[in-house]
Amino acid sequence: MAISRFSKRFGATCVIAAFAVAWWQASARGLVSGFLLPTPQTVLLTGWELVGDGTLAAHVAVSIVRIVAGYLIATALALPLAFLFGISPAAQRAFEPVLEFLRQIPPLAMMPLLILWLGIGETQKIGIIVLACFFPIFLGALGGIAQCDPKLVEVGRACALSRGSILRRIVLPAALPAIVIGLRIALGQGWRALVGAELVASAAGLGYMIVDAEQLARTDIIIVGIFVIGGLGLLADFGMRRLIARTAPWLRERTEITHA
Amino acid sequence: MLEVRGLSKHYKVSDRDVVALADVDLMLAPGSFTVVVGRSGCGKSTLLRLLAGLVAPTTGDIRHADGHRPTIGCVFQEPRLMPWLSVAGNAGFGLVGKVAKAEIASRVAAALALVGLTDFRDAYPDQLSGGMASRVGLARALVLEPDLLLLDEPFAALDAFTRRGLQAELTDIWLARRPTVVFVTHDVEEAVLLADQVVHMDGGRIIGRRPVPLARPRDATDQALVTLRRAILDDLAGDPSQAATRHPSSDQRVFQQETVP
Repeated sequence: MAISRFSKRFGATCVIAAFAVAWWQASARGLVSGFLLPTPQTVLLTGWELVGDGTLAAHVAVSIVRIVAGYLIATALALPLAFLFGISPAAQRAFEPVLEFLRQIPPLAMMPLLILWLGIGETQKIGIIVLACFFPIFLGALGGIAQCDPKLVEVGRACALSRGSILRRIVLPAALPAIVIGLRIALGQGWRALVGAELVASAAGLGYMIVDAEQLARTDIIIVGIFVIGGLGLLADFGMRRLIARTAPWLRERTEITHA
Repeated sequence: MLEVRGLSKHYKVSDRDVVALADVDLMLAPGSFTVVVGRSGCGKSTLLRLLAGLVAPTTGDIRHADGHRPTIGCVFQEPRLMPWLSVAGNAGFGLVGKVAKAEIASRVAAALALVGLTDFRDAYPDQLSGGMASRVGLARALVLEPDLLLLDEPFAALDAFTRRGLQAELTDIWLARRPTVVFVTHDVEEAVLLADQVVHMDGGRIIGRRPVPLARPRDATDQALVTLRRAILDDLAGDPSQAATRHPSSDQRVFQQETVP
């Protein structure tokens, strides 16, 4: 076990190191223009400056508030709706065509409409994140409920549980792995949509920082922004995995999106 | 006393009416141990599911001596444990919300001691062997303190050694608590080791029954047991007319405790 964990970390470290070396060599030897791809040292230095003057923290705080709000609203809408559809096939049949239609529309395609309906303030940006997060959570929960092992439900019936108890004590816990996977995917989708939302009509946030840097031809700031977004996404996912490991160890292997 | 009269179950399969159980009559005395044997698809499991109330009969009814449904414990072929619950949580699953927490804890502790899993009460299903998981399934049924214990090939997927151990445990539990047991199996040796009545089913009907008047504990190599096993195998393999007791419904008799425990 210890050896396999070491070999996994060693492999990942090697891949990251190879990327860093390739980047460094490409920029140091002039294979790529320093304007298009600044050296790792330049990016690090810029990042340090943005941390030092508080610029990065301010943008990160704005983005985090938006994503947390959008993610929570999406969760609050998607989970009850999925449970309703899970227990009421008639409701699912009625709403399925509309939801399937909406699912095909990229959240960013809705941005012009959202700007018209909600203005250019926070509501519109959070709305984009809600749209991006809703379907992974909704579909994960709906799939989890639909795929609940009927044999487990039969155990509940054999124990003379009521319909409500079967739902609460068997169906929902059985759906939890799919719900958690949906929540994890939604988190990633939320980060992606966030940048899109902040690219338009925004004055703060990581997306804005990247667009502003592009207009100033500051590739180094763009790369810092990209790294921060990726890092925060990884950190959020890591936090969720740790939470699962601590609170529900049985879920751990069932909620890995990639092979552990 | 449990009395089954004219019980049948039909299923619709692609607009075709499939008869899973046809006009079954059965009477079980309190505290009896009945094993149902027969080929795959003969209706054994359907009978058990009807007795458990998991499916509704197409015709016929199931009557209980005092007119109300007894406490029923079910053990399935697969352990069907909830992966999010510990061994203790799974064992006490059927009691939650029905009896006080202290009562659940005490019944679970007793049931786990009975099936030899006290040391594994905090383990999760993923951490158990097949035999241990089957024991948890048995404990989950036992904590209900059932009047009627229904077991559907509970040991079928286990190796012979584990199966033998669990058969002995089940016999001890039955002798100690005396629930009425209906046990479904393919394994005739298992039937003769456990039962005090073996019911033979074929084509959705009960076509024969044999009492097993052998003392317990039983030995699979005992000559009387081997002879009885052979006779039941002949029933299963041969002409149904050779079965021990034909089952005309008028001839249904309550199987009394004619075995020597």
